Amino acid sequence: MALLRKIKQKIKDLVQKEKVRKQEAKRKRAESREIKKEILGAQEMAVEQTKFSHPETAPFRRTFPTDLPYQYDRDRIVLQVRDPRWIHAYWEISASMIERLKNNLRDDFFDAKRVLRVYDVSDIIFNGENAHRFFDIQVNEFANNWYINTEGPDRSWCVDFGLLLVSGRFVTILRSNTVRTPLEGPSWITDEEWMIPEDMFARLYGMGFGLGRSSPVGKAWQERVKQLLFSGAMASPGMASMASPVKKELKRRQFWLLVDCELIVYGATEPNAKVSVSGREVALRPDGTFTLRFALPDGRQVMPVKAVSSDKMEERTITPVVSRETKISCSVKE
Amino acid sequence: MVKGYLCLVLHGHLPFVRHPEHENFLEEDWFYEAITETYIPLISCFERLCEEKVDFRLTVTLSPTLISMLNDPLLQERYLKHINRLIELAHKEIERNSWQPAFQKLAIMYLNQFCKARDTFERYNRHLVRAFKNFQDAGKLEIMTCAATHGYLPLMDVCRASVRAQVKVAVSHYESVFGRKPRGMWLPECGYQPGHDEILKEAGIRYFFSDSHGVLHGTPRPKYGVFAPVYCKGTGVACFGRDLESSKQVWSSIEGYPGDYNYREFYRDIGFDLEYDYVRPYIHPDGVRINTGIKYYRITGNHSHKEPYVPEWAQETAAAHAGNFMFNRQKQAEYLYDFMKKPPMLVSPYDAELFGHWWYEGPLWLDFLMRKIVFDQDELRLITPSEYLAENRRHQVITPSLSSWGWKGYSEMWLQGPNDWIYRHLHVASDRMTELAKDFPHADGLLKRALNQALRELLLAQSSDWAFIMGTGTHTSYAVRRTKEHLLRFSRLFEDIKSNSIDPNWLSDIEYKDNIFPQIDYRVHQ
Repeated sequence: MALLRKIKQKIKDLVQKEKVRKQEAKRKRAESREIKKEILGAQEMAVEQTKFSHPETAPFRRTFPTDLPYQYDRDRIVLQVRDPRWIHAYWEISASMIERLKNNLRDDFFDAKRVLRVYDVSDIIFNGENAHRFFDIQVNEFANNWYINTEGPDRSWCVDFGLLLVSGRFVTILRSNTVRTPLEGPSWITDEEWMIPEDMFARLYGMGFGLGRSSPVGKAWQERVKQLLFSGAMASPGMASMASPVKKELKRRQFWLLVDCELIVYGATEPNAKVSVSGREVALRPDGTFTLRFALPDGRQVMPVKAVSSDKMEERTITPVVSRETKISCSVKE
Repeated sequence: MVKGYLCLVLHGHLPFVRHPEHENFLEEDWFYEAITETYIPLISCFERLCEEKVDFRLTVTLSPTLISMLNDPLLQERYLKHINRLIELAHKEIERNSWQPAFQKLAIMYLNQFCKARDTFERYNRHLVRAFKNFQDAGKLEIMTCAATHGYLPLMDVCRASVRAQVKVAVSHYESVFGRKPRGMWLPECGYQPGHDEILKEAGIRYFFSDSHGVLHGTPRPKYGVFAPVYCKGTGVACFGRDLESSKQVWSSIEGYPGDYNYREFYRDIGFDLEYDYVRPYIHPDGVRINTGIKYYRITGNHSHKEPYVPEWAQETAAAHAGNFMFNRQKQAEYLYDFMKKPPMLVSPYDAELFGHWWYEGPLWLDFLMRKIVFDQDELRLITPSEYLAENRRHQVITPSLSSWGWKGYSEMWLQGPNDWIYRHLHVASDRMTELAKDFPHADGLLKRALNQALRELLLAQSSDWAFIMGTGTHTSYAVRRTKEHLLRFSRLFEDIKSNSIDPNWLSDIEYKDNIFPQIDYRVHQ
């Protein structure tokens, strides 16, 4: 076992050395490129720079990242409740913490499994030892978050992220906050407590209320509500305004074809003439031209276009007659 | 005799989308569409009811982000441009449909609707929030607030300072707009985490809403289910549970009213239907086809063939549905009254944008429903939560359960594969904000501005809308961009403040871009 571990470490070291060597070479190459570029491209750069000078732009003192960091170099695990059965954990471990663990555990560190230890800490003050029960989830080296199925509504949970050593010892690295999963059905507790806010109580005291501690709520509607609850009817469509409006149509994946016709009627006359189409006056552009656009249904359309000169001495009428007929055929190949 | 109370709630919210740096921004259209199709039709509905002395009651949320956009001069200016373009398009449509009278009639209907929208907008001097304020002052409407940027609070629970900031910023914003404190708060997505009622109480909030199972699965078991509010144990903040039966009748896409074949089809918009060059000036400048708001068809049936919309039929259907809704509530109230021995409280909350935008006839339905309830019967009484609580003081004390009204009823919509990565960043930012507030208890000048802006950026990053859009899996890039942008701005502010090297030019630039909550005080984040 010890031998195996040594070989493993050796290979790791070798790989590490190779990496360092490659990085060094890469850095050198980049450096030489930099120098060359400086000599070759200096003039071009200077010229290009003048294109972008702008008196108003504030100078940036230093560059800022354009994307969020992968992590924040903290040691932290956070637990959140997703629903009565599932909780979610995310975590991060700082580089210095990893180093410290490596130093302390030496070879044990590399053989250890990374584990989430999930404690049921309902109704206790958890001290690391007194959980009602716990279970482990092995996670890989690169995982930084996990959905945990607790199978336990109405319980409190706390999670340790740690190393499970070959010896069976568990080393806690991070301990989470405590969360409580909600009930999945009605509470079994039926003790009732009633309240009148203080300010009103003085006034209402002695007036008497008709509300007794009589029968618990009728079963019938409770069952009905429960059915609704778990039939999925409760999910609201939410913000319809944000969903893509076209998407639903496309999702049906039915083949389709839409064809429609429009008719453009256009012409020109003296700019100061009066033009009407089918008796309705049309606005002319300054140069005397006009354009009309119509949806063209099936059938025959007659549209007399009449122009009257500004002195009303002359009148011209041109009447286009258009007819549309639509034929539809469909075929489906087997 | 009153056998039951009906509390209708419309939750109005849109995320803060305002891009002064772009002339045309596709996502701003969410807001313009909602103004034309939802907010103005609702205002018109309330105006009609008031004029005709209908003593109605309705509860609405106007989220702080929505109010900020409605009050923003740049967006107001842009809306006017938007509605003017629509009016121009409607004119063209009237002419184009000269030989198709069924469509021409509809084009005229839209022209009237758009002109009316513009008139209303101008009549309130572009400040539509004033309209809502008037109805509240007249006692017809109760306006609730919502978390500052609609942050989903259960997933902020590890940073209660942020929950507190979301609540307190909203409350002081509400006060500055409406001249009084808000009584109720709509928890974003009905997301309730036990313990958050403490923060609500601190902020002076007296009630909130939860989904049915939030109350039904509370401990101990609520005697009257969702048909009476409960007080949260330890704080006495009232919690009203949603009645699922009435919700389903309106929400459900299958059995719900909005799916009726006589109603207008949402998915057939001329922005997609008409010839490209013709609609080009009215769609996105990049040439992407979008909804214009002019839609000519009715749902017709369960197939792709659609018939022209007939407003009269839709109107009759809306009236019938209002009658049906009222009848069902009466029956429900009678049934519950029998064994509760007191009038049940039926709470029916809906997204405001469902009315008019998604369900075109929604505002009309609401109008019919209010009239019918006020004039045609005396078993049901419309009520607001505050009125109810003033008249009914004694309620059961329970701890409601963690819940939301989102997909599957808990937090999964906002905590799943496509969006769970955001929390490690958001939570670090929250911790850093707390650190800043602690480090600088008395700041002024440039430092104070930077600290206030840091809180603005944090709040904007926390909007549940971004996680929601990522969760839906379509058109996610904008949501990802917004989350990162605000977090990056926050990080830079944090570093600049810590190293005492605030760049006043850059700060001015982001103050101009993210100009929400001018009165914000960073010290609420603790």
